[in-house]
Amino acid sequence: MNELTAVRSLATLPVVTLGGDAVAHVKDTVFDPSAGRIASFTLTGRTLLSGPLPRDLPWPAVHCLGRDAVMVRDAGALCDLPLSAVRRDTARGRLLGAQVLTDEGETVGTVLDVLVEGGTSGRLVAFRLAAHRELVHGSRHRRHRVYVPRGEALSVSGRTLVIPAHATAYVSDDVPAFTARVGARHDRGRGAAR
Amino acid sequence: MMLFSRVRGLPVLTPGDAGRVGVVRALTVGGAPWRVTSVRIARGRLRKDAAVAWSALGAAGADLLIARSGGGSDPVPAGRELVGSRVLTECGEERGTVLDAAFDPLTARIEAVLTTSGELPPDRLLGLGDHALVVRAPSGRAPG
Repeated sequence: MNELTAVRSLATLPVVTLGGDAVAHVKDTVFDPSAGRIASFTLTGRTLLSGPLPRDLPWPAVHCLGRDAVMVRDAGALCDLPLSAVRRDTARGRLLGAQVLTDEGETVGTVLDVLVEGGTSGRLVAFRLAAHRELVHGSRHRRHRVYVPRGEALSVSGRTLVIPAHATAYVSDDVPAFTARVGARHDRGRGAAR
Repeated sequence: MMLFSRVRGLPVLTPGDAGRVGVVRALTVGGAPWRVTSVRIARGRLRKDAAVAWSALGAAGADLLIARSGGGSDPVPAGRELVGSRVLTECGEERGTVLDAAFDPLTARIEAVLTTSGELPPDRLLGLGDHALVVRAPSGRAPG
């Protein structure tokens, strides 16, 4: 299993070519909710005052997503796009702040952050929620550190995210515990398949 | 074999009259095959640095470099400074900075790069740009 990365920490990462040149910085991450993975990154220029770039970086052009940089093969990996299209895609594919419902219609919280698998997969693994009291008891601080696995089914309509109800059974308070629990679930699944 | 740190500060002399051009400030490096491309020479406080192609040097000794007469007219190939640059694997993880490098003074080929997290053979270098030196992940580990 690849290292998990929080999407909020991807903002401001440099986009570096294999030739060692930084070509842009990551501004926002756009998700493809139907495929359950990152669709593209929107970009800003390299200096403090440069605004958003009228181009984006589609996921297939990413060589590797690392802790300290997003690697691309060369500067040709960036696609030119009108800024309006960039803004539209961002608004559509931004999961941060979306309301989370279970498929039984229960509101469980809002999305604070998304955990993705690094490297070449870019798979969406889990959400960090600001959970409601019904899901997790305790102080607000405790309820803001709740991780819920993505599950197999996932649908997004507008600013609402629907997760399977059984996913809430795997709620964890921190990332190591979460990784262990999801790993155990995967292993059980594999054992059953055999 | 010579080290970048040993070359820095050596005097550069002209042949024949042994006039002093200046002292070596830095070496620049270019890729594929990885080699020293040029020497940046500090010529004094009020004068600009001069860049001389490595191929325009007549000889490189342990204590001094000798410029070939008329060698200053050689075009200076593109290159970047290696020492001090950040090291990044192709998986996007930082691996410290470059401390020093060893090269063969006859062929100018880089033989090893010493970084804060260990020594790298030249076949693992992928690219040297304005952000970092990109290196291949250790063999047996595919990206991702």
